[in-house]
Amino acid sequence: MILRPNDISGPVKESADVCIIGSGCGGGASAKILSEAGKKVIVLEEGGNFTHNDFDMTEQTAYTNLYQQRAGQATDDLSVTVLQGKCVGGSSTVNWTTSLRTPEFVLDAWKKNFGVKDLSADDLEPYFDRIEKYLNVHIEPEENHNPNNRIILNGAKKLGYHARATGRNTNGCVKSGACGLGCPFDAKLSVDVTYIPDAVKAGALIFPNFRADKIEVSENRKHVRGTILDQTTRTPRYEFDIEAPIVIVAASAIHSPVLLLKSGIANSSGHVGKHLTFHLTSAVVGIFDEVIYPAGGIPQSAMCDEFLNKNGDGGGFWIEAVPVYPALAALSLPGFGEEHHAMMKKFINIGASIVLVKEIDSEGEVAVNSYGRPSISYSTGIKDRAYMKEGVNTAAKIHFAAGAKKVMTLHTTPTIFSSPSEIERQLENAQWGANEITMFSAHPLGTCRMGEDVRKSVVNSRCESHDVPGLFVIDGSVTPTSLGVNPQITILAIAEKNAERIAEHYR
Amino acid sequence: MKFRPSRRKFLKQTLAGTAALSAAQFIPITALAARNDVPGSLLFFSHHEFRIIRAVAESMIGLHGASSEPLHPHDVALRADQFLADAEPEIQEQFHLLLVVFNSPIFTFVFDFQLKSFLDMSKSERDAYLRGWMTSIFTFRRTAFQGLKRLCMSMYYTDSRSWNEIHYSGMFLPEDRQ
Repeated sequence: MILRPNDISGPVKESADVCIIGSGCGGGASAKILSEAGKKVIVLEEGGNFTHNDFDMTEQTAYTNLYQQRAGQATDDLSVTVLQGKCVGGSSTVNWTTSLRTPEFVLDAWKKNFGVKDLSADDLEPYFDRIEKYLNVHIEPEENHNPNNRIILNGAKKLGYHARATGRNTNGCVKSGACGLGCPFDAKLSVDVTYIPDAVKAGALIFPNFRADKIEVSENRKHVRGTILDQTTRTPRYEFDIEAPIVIVAASAIHSPVLLLKSGIANSSGHVGKHLTFHLTSAVVGIFDEVIYPAGGIPQSAMCDEFLNKNGDGGGFWIEAVPVYPALAALSLPGFGEEHHAMMKKFINIGASIVLVKEIDSEGEVAVNSYGRPSISYSTGIKDRAYMKEGVNTAAKIHFAAGAKKVMTLHTTPTIFSSPSEIERQLENAQWGANEITMFSAHPLGTCRMGEDVRKSVVNSRCESHDVPGLFVIDGSVTPTSLGVNPQITILAIAEKNAERIAEHYR
Repeated sequence: MKFRPSRRKFLKQTLAGTAALSAAQFIPITALAARNDVPGSLLFFSHHEFRIIRAVAESMIGLHGASSEPLHPHDVALRADQFLADAEPEIQEQFHLLLVVFNSPIFTFVFDFQLKSFLDMSKSERDAYLRGWMTSIFTFRRTAFQGLKRLCMSMYYTDSRSWNEIHYSGMFLPEDRQ
């Protein structure tokens, strides 16, 4: 069952076989596998439980109910906005459905550089197959791409770059464009409408609005203690204490390390919170004569994957379409005042593409601030900055090739090209430092990385803490490197595989 | 365990000194305008802060306060007041600090050689002042600008009254583009 706010009238004290902290891809998939294996599972979710009836397709409602810090979560210097879900289903509830397997060269690097076992492409293939079937991952037919995605497909084709349709986890999509605001049609097969209901059917208990504050470890038992929040006001109501021999931390690459650091556990390596990667993202915006209407239609169904690991260094970038809603556009477009207002009035003629860099020399850190919440820092490396510049350059060319009359970057100082010939020179003179160009991340990863060297990693290849038996971390934080692709399928596969191992090992 | 003093430590620390000076009595903070133009019951801002954020919103969004505009800067400031009342405590703390510093004649003097608070500036002076923060060589000023921009833009453009002027009609593609 999923606990409703009215079900709670005082402090909660429960016990279970497995307590899972977080209900996104890592937590949701683990909950399904373990509850179906007969374990008594309790899932704690800091955010609320919202369903299609609550999704009104507005930014205001979605950001308030479904996103971390109402979509304002960012690095300490505000240079990178970090978009994450905070609700039952986690980020899967608000992502744009892109479903891609982990690139083989990434898995090879994990094995070679971190000693990761049993996570090769061959090892994961049955899990990818099963997940893709379960979530109905499919390629959209040609006619379903909206004008914003066609910019990539058409522009890249004209320039000879490889571009293709992405996999999407939907069934009965009505092309509303609302994926990022919660799907009111339940057509997006996110964790809240797939894994979580199946886990509940198998007996799992889902506790929304339960914020885990600390994990206490003693002998064979573990206690997860925390605060029950009011779903609307987010103010504390009661305390809770869940006792379980197995605890799975699945609170994301931002919030899992915070919980471990606050608990003072699992950090003999000193690597908890380190090695944060963002899949660093910026964008270009094209102004077209025709109506693009970047908020409508399938938001993300195509990409240009020509430039990922093209040089064989494990880095590079790729380009995807991005849905643009009014506030998101306003925050991203350069400048302010009347000039900015004039750009906003061209909203329906805007097309936008994001450039996502798979980091090789950038890194960040998640620490804990004096309020017990994440303090996020990040530093961009020279190689990744060069890839970002090349990516922005390439995306701008794609927009011109697709018919844009003007193309602009997200530099704070407006950087606007009227023709392809202006791109190189202007980008050469542009500034790329913190808050000199708008950056985002929707794919934070890597702060509790896995590996077999106890000095260099937080968990082993089975996602179990090197320090605390029975304590697992199963979410995006365990990836040893940036993925270079949207991470939901990778996280689901790691979760399914390791939850099966847990079920087997702790019979 | 690694603790950091606050979420935006460097911004806070850099701004704190100036804020303390401005808050002291030596500096004549802008004479208050008539109070009747500020709502009596604000949730987060002081009346003075409300006037600052309203002026920032006007410049930031490019409004003129004309009746033909879908939202008055006053509406944006009101929404910001509600938004920040529910924000995390560290963000609340930083915004209070930021507004003191942003409007401080000390700061305008240090960076722009003029002893005028933001509220006392003309429209073009305000634009130039904001531009100075936006493009400053100092990271903390650019960060502060981003904080103000995010607040104002999100309060304005998440309000459905602003959508007509940008021809946004909600989700779904227009019929002729489907």
